[in-house]
Amino acid sequence: MRKLMMIVCAFAGLAIYATVAISAEDLAAAVKERRDLMKKTVAPSAKLGGQMVKGVEPFDADKAAKAMNDISGVPDKYVTLFPKGTEHGAIKDSEATPKVWEDFDNFKAIAMKLKDASAKAAGAAAQGKGTFTAAFNDMTKVCKECHETYREKLEQ
Amino acid sequence: MPRAGWWALVVIGIAGAIGFFLLTIPKTIPASALPAHTPDLANGEYMFTAGGCAECHAVPLSKCKDTKTKDKHVLAGGRCMKTEFGIFNVPNISPDKDTGIGKWSTLDFVNAMKRGIAPGGEHLYPAFPYASYQHMTYADLIDLKAYLDTLPAVKNEVPPHDLTFPYNIRRAVGLWQLLYVDGKTLKPDPKLSAELNRGAYLVEGPGHCGECHSPRNFLGGVMQSEAFAGARNPEGRGRIPNITPSDDGIGDWSADDIAYMLETGNTPDFDVIGGNMAPVQENMAKLKPEDRATIAAFLKALPPRPDAVPKSAKKKKKSDQDSDADQGESGGEDGEGGAQKPDGSE
Repeated sequence: MRKLMMIVCAFAGLAIYATVAISAEDLAAAVKERRDLMKKTVAPSAKLGGQMVKGVEPFDADKAAKAMNDISGVPDKYVTLFPKGTEHGAIKDSEATPKVWEDFDNFKAIAMKLKDASAKAAGAAAQGKGTFTAAFNDMTKVCKECHETYREKLEQ
Repeated sequence: MPRAGWWALVVIGIAGAIGFFLLTIPKTIPASALPAHTPDLANGEYMFTAGGCAECHAVPLSKCKDTKTKDKHVLAGGRCMKTEFGIFNVPNISPDKDTGIGKWSTLDFVNAMKRGIAPGGEHLYPAFPYASYQHMTYADLIDLKAYLDTLPAVKNEVPPHDLTFPYNIRRAVGLWQLLYVDGKTLKPDPKLSAELNRGAYLVEGPGHCGECHSPRNFLGGVMQSEAFAGARNPEGRGRIPNITPSDDGIGDWSADDIAYMLETGNTPDFDVIGGNMAPVQENMAKLKPEDRATIAAFLKALPPRPDAVPKSAKKKKKSDQDSDADQGESGGEDGEGGAQKPDGSE
């Protein structure tokens, strides 16, 4: 019995250690990684799709589908990059509002909506510009739903 | 101090009190100013959307600080806005007779919108953006009142504002009104096209864009010389963008880009807008396309201005490029700025 207790305690200790061991560098790395996902994958893909929708770029079904699939690949990873202590004000470069942690389930649900909406837009590309446009606009509504509550912009 | 000195102080004090009283006498619009006008409910609803009434007055989703609402047509108030002046509890403007504005006449409503004066001569705080709404035409205001009367009456007693001294002296709002409120409808500029005039009206009147996008002086008045050049976020951290056509602002956006953003929420880079602009944009999306185009044209015609509020992000961008190990800035977002930038964050 005592042995069991010791093992439990050891594991508890380990768990506490692991929690504490999220160092400042780890937090900063999480912020950087999630921002890079947005800035280097999501934003350029959204811009590419959007410019086709807007008619700035000619519509290309393959390119559009690829861009949307790239976005769809982000959310699963993205939601793992929000350790506590990385809200706006607590750490450099974070634009995440404290609400992310207050209702993390909803935050995550919106991220999963983005995954679905972008996959749908990718599928819609083959059916022509009109179908793609509708699906793309549905997707950017999801972007806005999240930004409205969970992002507090640092810069323009 | 000699006795004569004391007397002088007393006299000055009394004169000051009388002066304060006289200067802050509520100024209202007489009934004779109201034109005969048959209300147009469709236009009233349009003004309701353009004016964003629901964004503050609709019942918040659950907690008072929620910016999301249950139903945009239930204007029973209850939202709380935490600002540097204290907490504003947004009033009930549903047509409920006891707790809303169901007893207000059209003239009462016009006086609130154009003069910031409630029935009984009570000064309204300019968190209610009547410094913009005052520019609206009587016809639009009469239509809006008629439309508000058709919305559900809901009993909801909202607690009074919880402001710090001296802002809790309601009468003093009268002094502010002397400076910033004259109740005059925005006159079309004959030198400008009908399109630009309509854009100016929508932006400076119902749209009240400058209430957030223009910087304020220490009195809380909009600085016209820097209008639309961006400002501090009145609720929370960060800054509200400069929307003049300058390098700091949106000089690289075409008029179509602006209209498209108002319609879809997508910036030219397809960075989707958020924060308090999200519900505003959703209202703008409901306007007629030609009205969005006039807003875009008006913004493009503004004098280009540098940022009114120093952009901490500039430093940030530089440090990004230097791929930095510079830490001095962490958490420094709201420490920036001088006397005009008291920390309004929670």
